[in-house]
Amino acid sequence: MKKKGIIKEDFFYPQKIVLIMKMTIFFFVLGIIGVSAGNSYSQTTKLTLNLNEVSIGRALAEIENQSDFYFVYNKKVMDENREVSISVKNKRISEVLNLLFTGSNLEYKMMDKYIIIYGSKKSQKGLSDHKISGKVVDTEGLPLPGVTVVVKGTTIGTVTDANGNYNLANISNNAILEFSFVGMKSFETAITGKSSINVTLQEDTIGIEEVVAIGYGSVKKSDLTGSVMRVDAEKFKSQPMTQISDMLTGTVAGFNATQSTSAAGGSSMQIRGRNSLSAVAEPLIVLDGVIYNGSVSDVNPNDIESIDVLKDASSCAVYGSRAAEGVVIINTKRGKKGGSPNVNFSFMVGAAQTANDRKPYGPEEYLNFRKDALRTYHSSLLGGDRPDWYYNDSSDLPDGVSIDDWRNASVASQSDNTLERLSRLELTDIEIKNYTAGKTTDWYDKVMQTGLRQNYNVSINGGANNFTYYWSVGYTKNAGVVVGDEFSTIRSRLNLDYKISNWLNIGMNAQFADRDESSVEGDMTGMYRCSPYGSMYEEDGSIKWYPHDYAMARNPLLDYYGQDRTKKTDTFFSSIYAKINLPFGFTYKLSVQPRLTFGKDYNFWSSETRTGGSDYQGGYGTRQETSSFENITDNLLTWKNKFGVHSFDVTLLYSVEDSKSWLSSQANQSFSPNEFLGYDALQYGNSPAISDNDTKVTGDAAMARVNYSLMGKYLLTASVRRDGYSAFGQDNPRAYFPAVALAWRLSEEKFYNISWMNRLKLRASLGVNGNREIGAYAALARAAWTPYFDGTGTLMGTYSNSMENSGLSWERTKSLNFGFDAGFLNDRIDLSAEYYDTKTTDLLMNRNLPEITGFSSIVTNLGEVDNKGIELTLNTVNIKKKNITWKSSLVFSLNRNKIKRLFGDYDEDGNELADYSNKWFPGEAIDRIWDYDVKGVWQLGEESEASVYHVSPGDIKVEDVNENGVYDAMGDKKFIGYQDPRFRIGLRNDVTFLKNFTASVFLRAELGNMASFYDALHQYSNYESYNAVKMPYWSPDNPINDYGSLKLNSSSYGGGLGIYKKCSFLRVQDLSLSYNMPQTYIHAMNISSMRVYGSVRNLYCFTDWPGWDPESKYSPMPRIFTFGVNFSL
Amino acid sequence: MKRISNIFLILSLLIAVSCSEDRLEPEALSFYTSDNLYTNEEGLESILTTLRSDLSKECVGNRHYFCCEYGASDLALPGVQVDFYKLTPNTDRYFKFLSMFTDVYEIIKDANTIISRIDKIEWSSEDKKNEVLAKAYWYRSYWYYRLVNNYGDIPWIGKEIQEAKLDFCTTSRWTILDKLQSDMEYAVKYLPETADAGDINKYAGYHLLSKIYLANCNFDNAIEAANTVINGPYSLVNKRFGSSSDDLSHNYIWDLHRVDNHVNSANTENILSIVDRYEASDDARSIGLYSMRLYNSPWWGKMVKDSNGENGMLAVGALYDTLGRGNRDVRTDVFYQYGLWEGNGYTWENTPDLRRSDSNWYDLKDLMYNNPESADYGKPINPELFTDKFSCPYAMPYYITYAPQQNPDALPLGGNGDWYIFRLAETYLLRAEAYYYKGDYAAAAADINKVRARANAPLVSESEVTLDYIFDERARELFAESPRHCELARASYIMAKENLGGYSLENFSEKNYFYDKVMKDNLFYTETVVVKNNTSSIAPFHVLWPIPDAVITANTMGVINQNIGYVGAENNVVPKETISDSDDE
Repeated sequence: MKKKGIIKEDFFYPQKIVLIMKMTIFFFVLGIIGVSAGNSYSQTTKLTLNLNEVSIGRALAEIENQSDFYFVYNKKVMDENREVSISVKNKRISEVLNLLFTGSNLEYKMMDKYIIIYGSKKSQKGLSDHKISGKVVDTEGLPLPGVTVVVKGTTIGTVTDANGNYNLANISNNAILEFSFVGMKSFETAITGKSSINVTLQEDTIGIEEVVAIGYGSVKKSDLTGSVMRVDAEKFKSQPMTQISDMLTGTVAGFNATQSTSAAGGSSMQIRGRNSLSAVAEPLIVLDGVIYNGSVSDVNPNDIESIDVLKDASSCAVYGSRAAEGVVIINTKRGKKGGSPNVNFSFMVGAAQTANDRKPYGPEEYLNFRKDALRTYHSSLLGGDRPDWYYNDSSDLPDGVSIDDWRNASVASQSDNTLERLSRLELTDIEIKNYTAGKTTDWYDKVMQTGLRQNYNVSINGGANNFTYYWSVGYTKNAGVVVGDEFSTIRSRLNLDYKISNWLNIGMNAQFADRDESSVEGDMTGMYRCSPYGSMYEEDGSIKWYPHDYAMARNPLLDYYGQDRTKKTDTFFSSIYAKINLPFGFTYKLSVQPRLTFGKDYNFWSSETRTGGSDYQGGYGTRQETSSFENITDNLLTWKNKFGVHSFDVTLLYSVEDSKSWLSSQANQSFSPNEFLGYDALQYGNSPAISDNDTKVTGDAAMARVNYSLMGKYLLTASVRRDGYSAFGQDNPRAYFPAVALAWRLSEEKFYNISWMNRLKLRASLGVNGNREIGAYAALARAAWTPYFDGTGTLMGTYSNSMENSGLSWERTKSLNFGFDAGFLNDRIDLSAEYYDTKTTDLLMNRNLPEITGFSSIVTNLGEVDNKGIELTLNTVNIKKKNITWKSSLVFSLNRNKIKRLFGDYDEDGNELADYSNKWFPGEAIDRIWDYDVKGVWQLGEESEASVYHVSPGDIKVEDVNENGVYDAMGDKKFIGYQDPRFRIGLRNDVTFLKNFTASVFLRAELGNMASFYDALHQYSNYESYNAVKMPYWSPDNPINDYGSLKLNSSSYGGGLGIYKKCSFLRVQDLSLSYNMPQTYIHAMNISSMRVYGSVRNLYCFTDWPGWDPESKYSPMPRIFTFGVNFSL
Repeated sequence: MKRISNIFLILSLLIAVSCSEDRLEPEALSFYTSDNLYTNEEGLESILTTLRSDLSKECVGNRHYFCCEYGASDLALPGVQVDFYKLTPNTDRYFKFLSMFTDVYEIIKDANTIISRIDKIEWSSEDKKNEVLAKAYWYRSYWYYRLVNNYGDIPWIGKEIQEAKLDFCTTSRWTILDKLQSDMEYAVKYLPETADAGDINKYAGYHLLSKIYLANCNFDNAIEAANTVINGPYSLVNKRFGSSSDDLSHNYIWDLHRVDNHVNSANTENILSIVDRYEASDDARSIGLYSMRLYNSPWWGKMVKDSNGENGMLAVGALYDTLGRGNRDVRTDVFYQYGLWEGNGYTWENTPDLRRSDSNWYDLKDLMYNNPESADYGKPINPELFTDKFSCPYAMPYYITYAPQQNPDALPLGGNGDWYIFRLAETYLLRAEAYYYKGDYAAAAADINKVRARANAPLVSESEVTLDYIFDERARELFAESPRHCELARASYIMAKENLGGYSLENFSEKNYFYDKVMKDNLFYTETVVVKNNTSSIAPFHVLWPIPDAVITANTMGVINQNIGYVGAENNVVPKETISDSDDE
């Protein structure tokens, strides 16, 4: 049996320490979370009492005996000996208590099974028996469970149930009710005698009171000391998302992610500019509070509740060695208590097509292009010996040139003038044959496609008193814009939280993903090179390797048709935790986070393919198996307490990390008796090869952090973390990373009286973070191997291929951050601004060595890179009317990067020497472009000037900086631009109108950068032999100044020629329209909400970039049309 | 209360268990580290295997070193790099004039690893140790010999470098040659009498030593070293043998050059050849010799028109298998194809020299239109109708270049096979050269005639022996084998050092034997040719190839000299004349 005894003593009675601890938790829960645990127990439990003239203490004890209720009270407040009489049958506890307390000054509050009894302030004003009830909904009319409803100035209150309903009794009829809920604006209303008040809570656009994850914990946004930006997944529900980064591109100031063009989606991620020269510079991912080293593509975006991006050093410092590139915290959805399970379905179908076209020359264009190419090679201008009209069609000759002249220009002209022309154009036999037969092939059409995209998700969540759950399954299948580019994934997530007892919570977040990346794409190089007069198939029906019999122009679909591939990855990640509430405000959390991956990549190239038929013989197959097991164990001890105006929140961490990976690969070729079994039976080949590669890394970490708040106005965060990692040299396996941050809520001060700026907080932080992403074994001197066959057997040759660096250590980024958060016009306008200044020292880099050492580089710590930048985030509510709401969000960021020091080698004048091979220059940005300054194209008439430089008209004219008549490798190069955008801007507008419609448009701009446009070099091109992408080119007839001729001379430029083009852009990145079905329609179908939407991604891009896309540069950017339906039961 | 103490206990245990220092030690699982591998005999010997394998860089793969050596010579032009002014310290236009420099130093590093660690490990016997050291010296000397001739003064690195070093400086070529000479004098004492195919024996040691003596102007010692080889267990092949001996349409010169005839007891003149076999496992097999690709003409191309102006040649059939997909990377000149073979009243067409016999060459007259749709099908091709005079068919010594592509589906570029590094015929020609510098023309003629007689060529008289003649004989005998440019540059240095023929070291970059020989015989430079906008040209300073800029700029704490004539030479300092301990083992 239970029974426990009532707390009749003072709250701080020592023997009751366990229960007091519970009480602490209870108040903590009450104060921080603001959500009562619900009162279903109190509503379902019925009591029967028959007591006559007993002490109230006795009466309460009787209730405890009959039920699971505990009473908590202070003897000073309640006179235990007061006599009461009560006789009830099957009554609810509230009714019983109301009877018991009638006429006293006592009030009570029920929290789960605890009933706290306290003296009422209101009792002095006189009691009232007014009752009030109502329903709380959000702006979409959906019920809001868990909203706190409190009578202003008292502690009387309740929480709305699963249907948003609340009831309050015994309150004054002139009381004022306060409604509050996380993420919503608080709302007050006077009762003024009403018995029913329905409330619609407005979303808190500014989200001031939202709770933000800060790493190993969370704080209210108003208590933040660092620079943390929240992305609410709700905003992106009408956009196609395959991966999480799809919602981050351009939406967070200082967070740079470029869109991927493949079917798999995903992108690079970077926070606040490049800190590192060589180490991997991606932010750390934290998933539901724990470090996640897996692939973000395994996290289903539909499971995301919100994403917090930690940018400044202090915020990140709790992750120390991993956090120099910032931290992205992903919070997944969890179950909500109360009511019936909430089931959500979403379906999405879409199509991806290229946002712009970049076609090769079509049939007639191809012949014209060939003519121009050959004229260029043989132009007398350039030392050739053919008349310009030699390649013309015989019907298109210049004045004064007769057909006979034309025919005689060839040593032996064919009788047919058309054939003669084709021969002069050096068409191959198959091309001539197809030309004659009128057959052409549109390779672009064969390789580029409209890709179908599908996405299905179902989730179910709910919970009861001690238990919440969230479970989802999603399936995504995408095809890209290039044939064969396919991606599909099944992702499932289960989040569970149990409250075992008052001092123990356990839970699990588990994620499983199955990725299928078995794609074999069409080859775009072949697409551009193959002649429109080439053939897809040989006469015997097999695929033709070289469609126009030129070996440098391969059939773009050769592997697409001929290569078998299975590439699958299964991953499992979970974090299993137990949280124990300890006395004195301590909480201990133990969390174990295993991560497993299993991958296979099987390939088979039949002898129909070039790989299996020419590079290898009789088919070629490979099998690669990978697996990994990683575990991180976190021990977390937290202490929260408040002494008067002082609040403390202390976090201590000890963490241990172990990670192993295994890779086995096999290959074989020349299968007999035949190759039909493919990669499923590599044993039938005659030349088996195996290769294995296993790795192991270990790490540990200890961290302490304190958050201190004085009067809720002055906030301080200080932390220190010590990290250990096995990849570094044995001289330095550990390092310390400290940080401190201050914030001042200026607007809370009494003297603050700026009415139009209702809120202002100033922040400053300083801290050090590290980067360890250099590979598991960078510090070791490796030996590599090379097998050698001596005619009878294979010998294993070895050689050393890297140098040891036992002093290798962390890259350290010290960063200073100033920021302010301000609200204007009652938070209609919200502005956050950041200025940061970071210094990264001890850069992990591959220092170039003179290659005569036998090594090209050594991994070492050297130099310093600085980044400074400004970030602005402006959220506004432009219009807020009954039928229309228009909100905008503008983000702006700029980053200025500079290499301060490099290797520490100086010339005679004391200037630090540059690293020319990597193009790193002390005093300049990492992304600075140092190259020839292209002035245009050498034109006809400038022959003699050009010949000084060993070039001719049509070649690229660059500035001869040192005027020595040579295009020097060094002397003539200068700083001509930047590779990274100078400014990044994102502007999002959301308009809700006619109650149920929401339209969003997101514009994104990146400005001021350039990129190498190597297509313009024609460098590896043999245009006398194959086709090319349509692009302007110089010719004597078309003497343009921005593109050179079809045979550029690039070897006269000592340092190699690079041609750069501007790639600034403004993009209409997302456009969406969604419609919420009115409740009245869908209730009949037993659906609680339903939404349909349509959206377009990458609708249009304004840019001067001549390639595919200024963001993806050399690959086609997809434009994605999506239609979707979401509904909840 | 008890529960709480339990929790604290678990917590403290967790921390204690996981907090030990050595768990952060890196653990290499799937690779060796230099520190755990090179600690015993087997470890160091495994480096010798790598060195043996790396010798194939001379003659295997696309645009290998030998290909560059012939492209930059009196016998040919390098395909797309015909203008040597466009060979800069930054770009070598797809050839390996730059990359050879750094690649070879990587090989030297491996030899240095053995040499530096030779006394740090336990050996099963002193003989074993000496043999391993001797082989390491051989490889290091071989590659330095190649470098000092192609690049002149270069940095000397004589030991394993184990930390970032950025203060290299240039050492005089002559100082390096002194060092190579003493290393090899030591090495020949310990090299074994016999060795496996592809491995180094005593005679490969003496052959190399002879070259080094010669380069260092020690002519008597060069003769002495050559004597050891010539008097050793070798003789020039003069009868049919091996895989092709049944094919009566050919002769023993053909047999001698078959890529599967090197390791054959009847091949009595092979001193050292690389071993590269198709039957090797995938990763131990090279991508092939590329000999048909590099040396042969694009005879199959569209520039070969028939009398109707139509394409007369197809890249198919037996001819394609035999000549391969030629790409004229080494575009041989009129001199190599014809002039070289004239004399004693003979023309290239009727010379009795087996090395130019009709059965060993594909001349233009041997090439028939092979396009069945051509009106001229089966008739000899008409050079008048070539639409390109550079990328057109030319005479090809297919007895040298023929290396069947074993994979029938692969492009015929030159398959896997063995290739000569050292052959007795060269030893004779080295000795002849040494006699020549000594003025002993009779002995020189006798050695040359050994080689000529074997090839059934008319003999040379004492009075006809010149350095040009010796190098012409090398061209006839050793085409695509011994590194042509390297040897010409070596001779140029000898002529300059000995002040012969009006040459001198003082103005080496302005006047040298190499340039004069090239300009005399290679008409591509006098009657220029334009290849894809580049006009063939060369200057005396091109006798040496440029030092890669990347090496010079990465060496921030010291000065590595650039060869005179190339951008950057203005920063040169006087090269070191000694090898200090810090540079050496």
